[in-house]
Amino acid sequence: MIPLVHYLACAIALYVIGMYCLASKRNMIRLVIGVEILMNAAHLTFIAFSAYRTAGYIDPLGHAIVIMSIVFAGCVTAVALTIVTYAYRHYGTLDVRKLKRLRW
Amino acid sequence: MFTEPLNVLLIFTVTMPIIGWVAYRKAYRKILGVYAALGLSVTAYFLYELYREVAEKGVVLIVGQLPFNPPLGACLEIDMLSVFMAFICTMIGLFAAVYSIKYMERDTGLTEYYTLLLGMIAGMMGVAFAGDFFTLFVFWELMCLTSYALVAFRKQRWEPIEAGFKYLIMSAAGSATILLAMSFLYGMTGTVNFASLAVSLNNATPDGWLHVTLTLIVVGFGIKAAIVPFHTWLPDAHPAAPSPISAVLSGVMIETGVYALCRVLFVAFLPAQFHWGMIIAVLSVVTMTVGNLMALLQTDIKRLLAYSSIAQIGYILVGIAAGTQSGLTGTTFHIFNHALMKGLAFLCAGAFIFRAKTRNLDELSGIGRKMPISTVTFSIAVFALAGMPGLNGFMSKFVLFTAAIPAGMAWLAIAGVLNSAFSVAYYLRLILVIIRPQPAGKVADAKEAPITMLMPMCLMAAFIVLIGVWPEPIVAFAQRAASCLID
Repeated sequence: MIPLVHYLACAIALYVIGMYCLASKRNMIRLVIGVEILMNAAHLTFIAFSAYRTAGYIDPLGHAIVIMSIVFAGCVTAVALTIVTYAYRHYGTLDVRKLKRLRW
Repeated sequence: MFTEPLNVLLIFTVTMPIIGWVAYRKAYRKILGVYAALGLSVTAYFLYELYREVAEKGVVLIVGQLPFNPPLGACLEIDMLSVFMAFICTMIGLFAAVYSIKYMERDTGLTEYYTLLLGMIAGMMGVAFAGDFFTLFVFWELMCLTSYALVAFRKQRWEPIEAGFKYLIMSAAGSATILLAMSFLYGMTGTVNFASLAVSLNNATPDGWLHVTLTLIVVGFGIKAAIVPFHTWLPDAHPAAPSPISAVLSGVMIETGVYALCRVLFVAFLPAQFHWGMIIAVLSVVTMTVGNLMALLQTDIKRLLAYSSIAQIGYILVGIAAGTQSGLTGTTFHIFNHALMKGLAFLCAGAFIFRAKTRNLDELSGIGRKMPISTVTFSIAVFALAGMPGLNGFMSKFVLFTAAIPAGMAWLAIAGVLNSAFSVAYYLRLILVIIRPQPAGKVADAKEAPITMLMPMCLMAAFIVLIGVWPEPIVAFAQRAASCLID
């Protein structure tokens, strides 16, 4: 069996990748994907913890939470893509650097 | 399923599209706003019933029905603090709904607007009622999703789209951070219920994982509560939304972030055990200073008010940093007052924008001469925000800053008072610009706002003055609410 620490390391790596994606990417679709990666880091930890709490037994609570949470991630993506569509119609580009009319 | 006020609100939310269909068929769109206001009034009535029940029993516990036993179903734990927050949400939501009837009449998509508005209020109320972390998260997402759509509501203009996208990305990253923190708590304790978390963690020795979790929670909720340095979405999102939505976002939603932060911190991470008071104190000083400094530079009336919200969040954090009964009383009391003051300020700014079609302060110069009633209510709101004695903002700031001194944070109180004094500079500038003589340009032919917009504004102004001179009932309510966190 793979030790729990590996899953946790993987989840934290995903979290860091997601944050890097949000910080460095310029394409709006990629930013939405970055948010998805962040959510999935949390989902992975939930699933890993639910399997490792008691040996040979899987805690359904973690799974229930993840299934609900996947739905939310889907909703957020849907709203995000709607806004991206409107931004594309407005600017003709998905480059987030072009959206710079907001001041400090 | 849930508790009555929340059920009623959700029923009104899901039936709103049907009413919208009828309203558009009959070409009588006012009925939508009236229906939303009716929904919130009924909610307020049931909330009063719930208040009486909570006052009698202390805590009302509601767990999901049979196929969904406690860990899998919704778990609500309603104490006085929950009722207090739900009361604020309903009140500001009601005012915003009545105000929207006239304000939004020229917009399309009103069915979606009122559905989203009620959904957002329901989300905030659910966050207040939640008895486990995951229920909190579900309602949190309901609140977030509806607010993304509401910020980007006027999608034909560039500003709401940009602001909405920025807000969505930042806030969704915050939600993911909260979820990660929740997963760590789940991994450490095997539960997400607040009561069980408290039992499991209150005797734990703080180790590395707990500190990581604590950081993630402060960051995650801090993004929603607009604590500097996670505040950058707020000054874009709040002005871009329609004014009644700005009032709800600024008046209640960021406070919901503070509420959730308080709830989790005081349940799972006791201040005596983790010593986060100093971190919150530093964040508080930074937040109020940055908010006030940036507000001074603004030329856009709603943007200025948005930065002032950040500064007020800084004051609210003072009470959490102190962590005592009186400090938390100040926090809850200021949350209530800020909802009234900032809600009113945004509604009045909305009235100016409704008539003058501009948000630029220079172009609004002199509008006070044309809209006397709106200007009087606006001045009351702004003076209360500045903390003028006799109005409610002074009372809560007084409670907050005096609470910081016995908690050993006199420097925090001094920073707060200095910031408060400093903030008067831009609040006075606002009033000075508004009442300048010789209105010209866009404001020359402005006239007084319509009566349905004036009604909620005058009512809120009356509340501000009333609480300023007679704060005892609300302070007593806030005290009982705050004691729920300490015990």
